[in-house]
Amino acid sequence: MPHETPKELLRLNEAAPRLFRNACLLGIAGLVVSLLIAVSVDGGVKRAYHSYLMNFCYFLSLSLGGLVFVMIQHLSRAGWSVVVRRISEAVAANVLFLVVLFVPILFGMHHLFPWTREELVASDPLLQWKQPYLNVPFFIIRCLIYFGVWCGLSYFLLRWSQEQDDSRSPALTLRMERWSAPGILLFAITVTFASFDLLMSRDPHWFSTIYGVYYFGGSFLGFVSLLPVIFFALRLNGYIRRSVTAEHFHDLGKLMLGFTVFWAYIAFSQFLLIWYADLPEETGWYARRLEGQWGWLSFLLLAGHFIIPFIGLLFRYPKRRLRYLAPWGLFILVMHWLDLYWLSMPEFYWGVEGADTGVIPFHLLDLTTLLGIGGFFLAGTIQWLRDCSLIPEGDPRLKESLSFENA
Amino acid sequence: MSMVLIPEKDNTGNDPTQRPELILGQPDFAQLTESVCRVSEAPSPPRVWYVALSISLAFTIILHVMIAYLLWEGTGVWGIQIPVAWGWAIANFVFWVGIGHAGTLISAILFLFRQKWRTSINRFAEAMTIFAVICAAIYPGIHIGRVWFAYWLFPIPNYLNLWPQFRSPLLWDVFAVSTYMIVSLLFWYVGMVPDLATFRDRAQTRVRQVVYGILALGWRGSSRQWHRYECAYLLLAGLATPLVLSVHSIVSFDFAVSLIPGWHTTIFPPYFVAGAIFSGFAMVVTLAIPARYLFDLKHIITLRHLENMNKIILVTGMMVGYAYGIEFFIAWYSGNPTEAFVFFNRALGPYAWAYWTMISCNVLIPQFFWFKKCRTSIWFMFIVCIFVNIGMWFERFVIVVTSLSRDFLPSSWGYFRPTLIDVMTFAGTFGLFFTLFLLFCRFLPIVAMAEVKSILPKAGLDSGPHHGHGQYWGEIPYQHDEAAKEGGAGV
Repeated sequence: MPHETPKELLRLNEAAPRLFRNACLLGIAGLVVSLLIAVSVDGGVKRAYHSYLMNFCYFLSLSLGGLVFVMIQHLSRAGWSVVVRRISEAVAANVLFLVVLFVPILFGMHHLFPWTREELVASDPLLQWKQPYLNVPFFIIRCLIYFGVWCGLSYFLLRWSQEQDDSRSPALTLRMERWSAPGILLFAITVTFASFDLLMSRDPHWFSTIYGVYYFGGSFLGFVSLLPVIFFALRLNGYIRRSVTAEHFHDLGKLMLGFTVFWAYIAFSQFLLIWYADLPEETGWYARRLEGQWGWLSFLLLAGHFIIPFIGLLFRYPKRRLRYLAPWGLFILVMHWLDLYWLSMPEFYWGVEGADTGVIPFHLLDLTTLLGIGGFFLAGTIQWLRDCSLIPEGDPRLKESLSFENA
Repeated sequence: MSMVLIPEKDNTGNDPTQRPELILGQPDFAQLTESVCRVSEAPSPPRVWYVALSISLAFTIILHVMIAYLLWEGTGVWGIQIPVAWGWAIANFVFWVGIGHAGTLISAILFLFRQKWRTSINRFAEAMTIFAVICAAIYPGIHIGRVWFAYWLFPIPNYLNLWPQFRSPLLWDVFAVSTYMIVSLLFWYVGMVPDLATFRDRAQTRVRQVVYGILALGWRGSSRQWHRYECAYLLLAGLATPLVLSVHSIVSFDFAVSLIPGWHTTIFPPYFVAGAIFSGFAMVVTLAIPARYLFDLKHIITLRHLENMNKIILVTGMMVGYAYGIEFFIAWYSGNPTEAFVFFNRALGPYAWAYWTMISCNVLIPQFFWFKKCRTSIWFMFIVCIFVNIGMWFERFVIVVTSLSRDFLPSSWGYFRPTLIDVMTFAGTFGLFFTLFLLFCRFLPIVAMAEVKSILPKAGLDSGPHHGHGQYWGEIPYQHDEAAKEGGAGV
């Protein structure tokens, strides 16, 4: 369009390579330090794998939250969210980098998943029963399917959207809508089974039909909490200061509030039903999470993952002001991390004789792997946004989004 | 009424560059008021209305007779037995509560999601909610056997010091359903006040003027009243939203807190909620199709509204299918033999016919809605929605009966057969439901006129100054953007 240059900074341009390099360095440093700790400490390799898987699932959940967010916006033909969609698409497309980071997990499966250890399976009829599902080749095939679906969807949704920046073609919007419908169906199935495989099967005796919904709820909440943090960082550096307004943050804040409650609803449903029925095959999982120090973590989650953000986000004031909303986002992201820790880490002791299971096995590796994967996650986001606008400039509903108001 | 011959104006097209017309024919405010009010103000309703009301009333009478007979003879007149002590009565209760979910979803959740198309359908969907909850509430009341003690359901202080079991989800149900009923009723009524005032102002008879005048609570339509009204509506929407999820979650607890295989599974709460919305929307479509013909509201409840509802039916139907699938998978994965048996028994046992009816109606048939032709064909969607209604009744039947009829004690296994009384009672609640609905259509504003007016292009909320930021390309305007000012200084 033959108009003067926008005053709004919508491209990372020359800042991108520097940011990308720094993020990569952070990632490399995190992983190298993790590796050094792992090989130098007794039992460090096992510990490192557990931290690594947990942090992998954390960043995976943020990407998947982004993917489903984007697909929902297409399916509901949303107008308000256009200006926040590009960043979402980039976060979702990070799943392509996560595939590479997934490879180490395949080499540490015997540390992570008891059902891969033959000596355990041989003495455990339940594990034998589950062998047709819980076996290494089928696990790998399933993971290929999951990542195939996620990579395909997130890559094309990002690419078509970028294509639209130049072509301004409404036909691309229609194409994205069309693919989002089966996409969301595939998403539901793959996320559910991925959460069974990567997290639930770490205690291969335990089962819960709501588990996939729980992981999804946390993922979506994590993602909508990540968005204000990203926008805060971008604004701090002078990017998109005007096109994303208080109105959009207000809506993101509403989604944060809504999904805080949704997460609590799902978590409570699972807990109440298992607690009430009191069947030993189900309660063991909660018993471990209420024992010793884990009990404190459970109560921290109740307060920090539900009550505190619920009260905080109930008000209009913080939702419309990024300088309050972004810290809330960060707070929820920390809680979401603790939630994954709580889901995953008690199984560190699974099958270990005589371990003091009431102690939270906190380790420096939890943080170094967080920084490692997080660095690459950040680098991935920057990489996707390197050559394109930070908002979908060609979207036919852009105008509606820019002028959107909460009536 | 020549129902087939009237051509539908198709407003289901999807052009991303503009928002579609939701109300057809570009009516102005007066014309819109006219087309809604004439349903109630016409000297006499269409003849079909009388026919339908007579049939519904007949079934309502049957309901009363059945209940009287039940009270006289005792619950032995039903097919219930031990171990299937929860027969049709509970399946019907869950069915009707489920039907009652679309109304509040449309009025609360779709309101919060700013789905403008909800305005054409929310009023009668809410009415349907209330009538469905009334039908639902009958069943636990009469299922207890000694109905003269029905007040024991409530924790009322008494000299015997008898209290209901507070740890029982059956008591939570009493609270959940009555809260839902009260809030839905309030929501419906508050939303209706401006329209009732319109009825009052247009009244041609003294009776109408007085009755609608009382119901309108002195509404004058001043901007101060509107301001408060909209605040109240938003607050009610916020309060009603968790209720949409809580009621059916608690209904699901009735089953899921127990140890019965096939009932005790953690996905039950969201699965029941999805099923309730699924069945509720199917019922809304089932009622909307005849109502829009009968009362000539095709330009207000357009094909696009129906198509949107069909999409929700497709989505929620798949959520229900997801839950069926995950339940089945975990029944195997858990390695629990009784759990696996129950699911094997459902699919291949004596109730396999019911199970596969449920699967076909709830999961397979809605798949047609992937195709736009099916979503936008009136007759086709009507048939699909009838199937969904049937399927969702069967879902409750399958859950209630299959798990109970083969319990932990094989010597007590049996086959549940409903009696004629069971069937007639259920048919009777349909009579009551339709009687109330038909009376509503005739005597209350069937469409939320005030809300529909707010989405008419004439209201100007979608054009003019609200989109008047000019062209985006080149310069992003931000005239009244407080965030920019704050963000600039604060960040």
